[in-house]
Amino acid sequence: MAQQMKTAAIWLLLWLQSTAGVLGERTREKMYEPILGASCFRRLNGTHQTGCSSTFSGSVGVLHLINTDADLEFLLNSPPSPPYAPLIPPHLFTRTNLLRLKNAGPKTISVVLLINRSKRMTQFSHELNCPNQYSGLKLNNSTETVTCDASNVANTWNRWGTGLLHEDFPFPIYYIADPEEIDKLEECFNKFNNFDYESHSLRSLCAVEIKSFMSAAVNSEVCMRRTNFINNLGGSKYCDPLEGRNVYATLYPRTPTESFDVDATEKFIIVSCRLDTTSMFDGLGLGAMDSLQSLAILTQVAHMLHKLLPSANSQPDPKRNVLFLAFNGESYDYIGSQRLVYDMETLAFPSRSTRTTPISFENIEFMLDIGTLDDIGNIKLHTLTSTPPAQQLLQKLNQYAKSSRYGFNVNIESNVGYNIPPTSAQSFLRRDQKFPALILNAAPNNRYYHSIYDDIDNVDYVYANTSQDYTKLADVNDAKNISWSSLQMKVRNVSSIVAMALYETLTGKQYQGNQVANPLLADEFFYCFLMSSDCPLFKASSYPNSPAGVPLPPMRYISVLGGSQESSGWTYRLFGYLLSHQEPSVPKENCTQLPLFYFASLNGTGECRCTTQNYTHALSPAFLIEDYDWRSGQYSTWTESTWSQFSARIFLRPSHVHEVTILSIGIVVFIISFCLIYIISSRWEVLFEDLPASNAALPMPTAC
Amino acid sequence: MDISKAPNPRKLQLCRIYFLTGFAFLPFVWAVNVCWFFEEAFRKPPYTEQTQIKRYVIYSAIGTFIWTIALITWVILFQANRAAWGATADYISFIIPLGVP
Repeated sequence: MAQQMKTAAIWLLLWLQSTAGVLGERTREKMYEPILGASCFRRLNGTHQTGCSSTFSGSVGVLHLINTDADLEFLLNSPPSPPYAPLIPPHLFTRTNLLRLKNAGPKTISVVLLINRSKRMTQFSHELNCPNQYSGLKLNNSTETVTCDASNVANTWNRWGTGLLHEDFPFPIYYIADPEEIDKLEECFNKFNNFDYESHSLRSLCAVEIKSFMSAAVNSEVCMRRTNFINNLGGSKYCDPLEGRNVYATLYPRTPTESFDVDATEKFIIVSCRLDTTSMFDGLGLGAMDSLQSLAILTQVAHMLHKLLPSANSQPDPKRNVLFLAFNGESYDYIGSQRLVYDMETLAFPSRSTRTTPISFENIEFMLDIGTLDDIGNIKLHTLTSTPPAQQLLQKLNQYAKSSRYGFNVNIESNVGYNIPPTSAQSFLRRDQKFPALILNAAPNNRYYHSIYDDIDNVDYVYANTSQDYTKLADVNDAKNISWSSLQMKVRNVSSIVAMALYETLTGKQYQGNQVANPLLADEFFYCFLMSSDCPLFKASSYPNSPAGVPLPPMRYISVLGGSQESSGWTYRLFGYLLSHQEPSVPKENCTQLPLFYFASLNGTGECRCTTQNYTHALSPAFLIEDYDWRSGQYSTWTESTWSQFSARIFLRPSHVHEVTILSIGIVVFIISFCLIYIISSRWEVLFEDLPASNAALPMPTAC
Repeated sequence: MDISKAPNPRKLQLCRIYFLTGFAFLPFVWAVNVCWFFEEAFRKPPYTEQTQIKRYVIYSAIGTFIWTIALITWVILFQANRAAWGATADYISFIIPLGVP
């Protein structure tokens, strides 16, 4: 009977357990609630470290929502239970406020959270007033560039810049974009923290823990030395140089040779722009206005010229070619262009594997650099000195820009002198001030330069999604159902003007056609780079049926070796597709070796095309030159620290009193247990009277 | 090894070997020597070899003391100045801490 009862009891227990459900989660994990976001990290140059790092085991701070300046004053002047983690909206994320938080020290402020509540934000740029202030064109061994005067903020290239990207913070900064996550934080703050501030030190508070510990310190010289150090037993890497790829393509294919001598008869017009952008937070920042617009224009110019001038043989000078260049890492002291200049000096561009003759400075007819075009109604053509070729190009540009036939209504002015925008051309001018560099740049009007908010909204982009053919040129009066004032039309207008002026330069004849750049190409281009890599244009420029891109825009930060390199990859394929000639006679099986490449093309049917694009390495020469003087300021020295993880989570931090009580109780119990054991072992006979002594059972040792 | 069971000349021989080995930049051997033979040198009733053992123990103790002072001085000096010494400090380190100068 008893046996049956037992069995029944066990079954009952098992049944109860199965209905109740087993929760295998650990208590430790139940204490925390993860928060999704992006972290600020540490970058280093030849002299400084910038960015943020948490402490080794993670920085903890009590949440405090900042709505007004008074909230900030409260935290800084009379924090009841420091350290705190202020939740700051973008309009209060200013240089003054951040520096005050920094000066308060990690004992008062241990974490800063930036929340995506941008309603009251009017500007947000963390770049310097003079981007690339310590590189570019310099005079008389000066450490700063001559092209921008940082003391006269109103006349700088980024007058909204706070320069926070170049500050070193003793606390981690975490950006939380998702509204749900922000609500989670606010709810926790309201429930536990947002009342009776005087008793903060006496009760449990909602706190956040951020882990973003950075391995590198001091500057690039120190961390590169430690990384390359032979005694480095741990094998730890402290930092990696910023490294990526420049993408280039030529209008006409170059003839393969085995010779490695410069062919002086070959002439190039360089049309260039910047490929990369940056922001304070890992993996974020689209750079829509600060650099993507110029890349779109470069792509459109290349495409239009390719359509108008399909063959070099019909030109007056068949040895004349156009070289399209997209430089990577320009946000960090012109990494890409500095390297290209270095490669051209050492006759290493293009690389020998391309089997073409090297291009040297004597081959360059002139360089047209496309800078930022924030306001296309106010474009200037910048040159260092007034030269006849520059005058001629300006005259050609204006002839089309002002022409009533096309109705672009753009006026391009000349600007001669040292007031040159921070673009790639500066690397060329720095080597030789006589270098024929012309820079197309609009008056700076971007309030979100190099920031997470330089996005779709900043450029007012709306995807038209017409599913029409974007590879053909469009008639000048056909807007393809896109608004005349849209971003697509602005890009169409500027790129048509540039392409027409270059057409006239190359052919010696005025452009008479009605065909202009297709606004749909710009439409598709921006959709791919601002909204999703899984897009028609990227699909058409890949191999047929290759895996689709992720439904996120490609990362455009230069990153390090082994980084994503998405944007250079896509730009490479795009240049390949848009600047290539179809080879209908080559079957798919034979279309495998570059320059031949098989593209999915417009409707995914697939076609073999003869391409001209390639990569060059964008790694600063500072990392190639042996015993380079890191403080010389000659080349970019930017590196990125390594880290093991980024994580953020919230939990209830017990009060100090609570913690002390628990510890004291623990110590008391520990001491009592010692006393108890001592008493028990000394009085064991009393307690265990009946039992024989523990050694009684053992036989006595035999006497030796 | 139980030293108390060894004959006296063996004790002296061991103590001398330990003392001499210490000169090969092994201060810890001297420290062991002091601990091991302290009883023999100072607590045991006198015997012939004891004076010599006593001498070795005292010399080992002095050696240990000097080494300790020297090492502590070096550790303090190095830890305080590691960041300031820059490349030199890195070259004489095996493990460089993360995230600090």
